[in-house]
Amino acid sequence: MAPDRAVAAQARPEQEFFCFRVGDLRLGVPSENVLEVLRAGLLTPLPRTPSFIMGVTGHRGEVLPVVDLLRFLSKGEARIGPRTRLFVGITGSYVAGVVADTVLGLRRIPVAEILPPPLGGDASAEHLLGVVQGHGTQDAINLLNFSKLLQTARQRAVAR
Amino acid sequence: MSLDTPNDKPTSKARAARKAPASKAGGASAKAGAASTAMSPAQYKAFTDTLLTVLSGNLQARVPAELVGEGGAEMAQLLNQVLDNLAESEHRKQVSAQEIDQALDALIGLVREGDLSRWNTSTEDPQLGPLLEGFGKVIETLRTFVREINEAALRLSSSANQVLAASTQHETSSTEQAAAIHETTATMEELKHASAQIAENAGSVARVAEETLGAARAGRGAIGEFIQAMQQIRSDGVAVADSIAKLSKRVERIGTVVEVIDEIADRSDLLALNAALEGSRAGEAGKGFSIVAAEMRRLAENVLDSTKEIKNLITEIREATAAAAGAAEASKSATESGEKLGAVAAQAVEGILAGVQETSDAARVINLATQQQRTATEQVVASMAEIEDVTRQTTQASKQATGAAAELTQLAGRLAELIKRFKAD
Repeated sequence: MAPDRAVAAQARPEQEFFCFRVGDLRLGVPSENVLEVLRAGLLTPLPRTPSFIMGVTGHRGEVLPVVDLLRFLSKGEARIGPRTRLFVGITGSYVAGVVADTVLGLRRIPVAEILPPPLGGDASAEHLLGVVQGHGTQDAINLLNFSKLLQTARQRAVAR
Repeated sequence: MSLDTPNDKPTSKARAARKAPASKAGGASAKAGAASTAMSPAQYKAFTDTLLTVLSGNLQARVPAELVGEGGAEMAQLLNQVLDNLAESEHRKQVSAQEIDQALDALIGLVREGDLSRWNTSTEDPQLGPLLEGFGKVIETLRTFVREINEAALRLSSSANQVLAASTQHETSSTEQAAAIHETTATMEELKHASAQIAENAGSVARVAEETLGAARAGRGAIGEFIQAMQQIRSDGVAVADSIAKLSKRVERIGTVVEVIDEIADRSDLLALNAALEGSRAGEAGKGFSIVAAEMRRLAENVLDSTKEIKNLITEIREATAAAAGAAEASKSATESGEKLGAVAAQAVEGILAGVQETSDAARVINLATQQQRTATEQVVASMAEIEDVTRQTTQASKQATGAAAELTQLAGRLAELIKRFKAD
């Protein structure tokens, strides 16, 4: 299997995405933006922050803000259970934890299969890299422009 | 005729008595005249004719005084006097004989006609007096006899009538008695049949009671077994409840173990994920590492799936054991109430047993009593038959007696009839 993929990689350019599910959304983040995956432990709520900041948690001696993408994208709100994951996303010097109900895994997606996001349909479309159609039973995955998303989040948080 | 005689007799006697002194006086005067005269042939002839006439039977013949004249006057006078006396005596003899005949005729008539009341014949004749007196005594005796016989016949007749009535009544009552006895015999026969029926019924009741007794005993045994089975079920239920509790504990233990496994799998998943990320960051060199990590992650996910399934199963088992525990509890209470019911049933069956025992005993006693009654009734029937026989004989005898009494009555009637012909008063 690996040799096939290697051949395919040579033939076509691919990009690796960290795919996860939160709420009803199936999302993908470029894997270079992901440092590691944690369990969503106890979150400490933070005052005077936008609602999509669920709180902060300690991670390797640093205080990590935790973002609820559902709230950020106005798709409801996340709930933290015993199996809820928290992946540490990074873009530039900004590091933030993001709540994911389930981690689907790392996926190499051929660049050619990435479809552009629908134009002007949704405000959230501005943070999308594109959409990859699911294979068979798998649903489509929205691929996020994590750097832009995190910047926007930061801007919104500061704006308040 | 007899009535005439008493009237005639005194007159004739008086006439005879009156004649006698007159003729005597005449004779004395005639004798004195004839003694002085001699007899002439004419005179003699007159005497002879007169005597011949007298001898021929005519006592009225007399010597005519004009024929004898002076010479024979006295003698004719004497002869005439003799003839007068002779005629007188003859007359008196005839009168006596006539009176005796009359008396005899009267007696014969009386006896023939039976009328004894009319006897009152009397006579002035001193010679006939004793005879008539004797006759009168005989008649009187007869009269007494007839009176007594008449009286006796009347009494006999009434007695015979009474006897007949009594005999008839006796016959009637005897017949009635026979009928009553017959009826009684029939009734006793029916009673016998009835008592036999009762005895039979009592016997079958006793049999049924015996069967019921057996059935009730079997029921008692069955109830005992039922109670034992209930107790067994209860103890089994307790064991089941214990087992369920143990099973529940084991399942809980399995749950904790599964939690541990789950935890380990979750950590493995995270580790594999981070390893894959690390591999990814290492670029092309870490590619194989990433693949292995992905495989590890898949395994961990498989384990998680399995533990999830196990958890579901545990949940199901928990529910099932809870249900089983509830069922065991319900079964326990059910068996307890079953035991109570069994105890109640046992008590009831005990009561039934006692009742059936009593019924059986009573039926047996009834059977015995009715059998005795039957024998007694049979004896009574036999006695009644004998009585009936005797009564029949009695009836026969009373019929005969009635016949005899009827005959006797007839005879008494006849006797009275006969006696009636004799008039005593």
